[in-house]
Amino acid sequence: MIANTLTVILILAGLVFFAAGTAGLLRFPDVYSRLHALTKADNVGLGLVILGLMLQAGGPADILKLFLIWVLVLAAGTTAAHMVAQRTWTHGEFESDR
Amino acid sequence: MSDLLLVVFDLVLLVGLLGVAWRCLASTDLFRAVVLFITFGLLLALAWVRLEAPDIALAEAAIGAGITGALLLVTLERLRSIVVERRRGQPDEPPDPAGADALLHALHDPPPPRRTFVPALTFALVVGGLMVTALWHQPDAVGLEPVVDEHMDVSGVDHPITAVLLNFRAYDTFLELAIVLIALLGAWSLGRYDRLPARPAPGPILPGTLRLLVPVAIVTGVYILWAGSHAPGGAFQAGAILGAAGILLVLARPRDLPMAPSSPLRLGLAAGVALFLAIGIVGLLIGPGLLGYPPAWAYPLIIVIEVAATLSIALTLVALFIAGRPAGDDR
Repeated sequence: MIANTLTVILILAGLVFFAAGTAGLLRFPDVYSRLHALTKADNVGLGLVILGLMLQAGGPADILKLFLIWVLVLAAGTTAAHMVAQRTWTHGEFESDR
Repeated sequence: MSDLLLVVFDLVLLVGLLGVAWRCLASTDLFRAVVLFITFGLLLALAWVRLEAPDIALAEAAIGAGITGALLLVTLERLRSIVVERRRGQPDEPPDPAGADALLHALHDPPPPRRTFVPALTFALVVGGLMVTALWHQPDAVGLEPVVDEHMDVSGVDHPITAVLLNFRAYDTFLELAIVLIALLGAWSLGRYDRLPARPAPGPILPGTLRLLVPVAIVTGVYILWAGSHAPGGAFQAGAILGAAGILLVLARPRDLPMAPSSPLRLGLAAGVALFLAIGIVGLLIGPGLLGYPPAWAYPLIIVIEVAATLSIALTLVALFIAGRPAGDDR
């Protein structure tokens, strides 16, 4: 019961971070602040969701897998954000086809 | 309560799929269309999970969204560099709408305004009508599931999907592998190896991350391949994961990419199809028929074919990403 309540609270908190990150991605004026909103919020948001799911996991193996997912997304997301920022820094804002 | 929530989830997923598909098709900005296509692939993978088809979900996420997305992006980058180059030649001249470059310009410029909806409407009505008719006449039959279950003991594996793909309907899988190989031959026949137009990311971040991620990808790929005999997984998914690791390596250091030696590369690319065909012909000669296995040998043969197929698929996907055939290969 306590675990279930905690899970709901953690996942809801995570969703708040996802919503904030998405709002920042849509509303912020330039690439860097958008990346800032996206990566920070998504990393914490996913972390909270994963933490909530860990409380429902069947055993240590599942907990470890969930943790691994979080670490991998952190690494991949950070690198992708860095590359987008790097490209914007050297080449300027992305120029669309139109 | 939870049923209702699932229905709501499914409805949101459906609306999202249709919306993203529509935006993807309607977008005149190719980059946006590619990004929406990748998004569509991920949503589709989620839909397959909801339909309890994890095998297809894995394949869709890895191949449909991941690898195809990378191929589309690199194609777009090549198209851009071609267009920029040609425009540099004749800066002020308006493009000739019927000229040789018309297609390239059409890809780059916004399309002319639409004049009529009739063709699109006719197409939508015909396809929609056919789909409705197909759904209307759905037979009550349970499909082939009982037949597959009945014969699982002679298939050599424990996972029904793998049994169908590598044993009962091995012919289909063989042709799929052949198509992947033929696609690469088509790309190779169009051009020689040239440097990727993709700009390498300066700095140590990407290579550093890859040092962490590529070993994980290799372990995951081999695990997925191994899991295929008793759980969702298999050669195509494993090949896509290994291929994705290869593509990332190519992207991290495109300037000093060591070219694979020609003959081993070709052997690796053809290994899946060749081994599959060889085992199939042996099956024809000794009794069970073309692409059939003696039940006692089914398990080892399937594993051998899957290992070779994984290697070939991974190599082919990386080679398709690089696109040209190896340099110094025009003999």
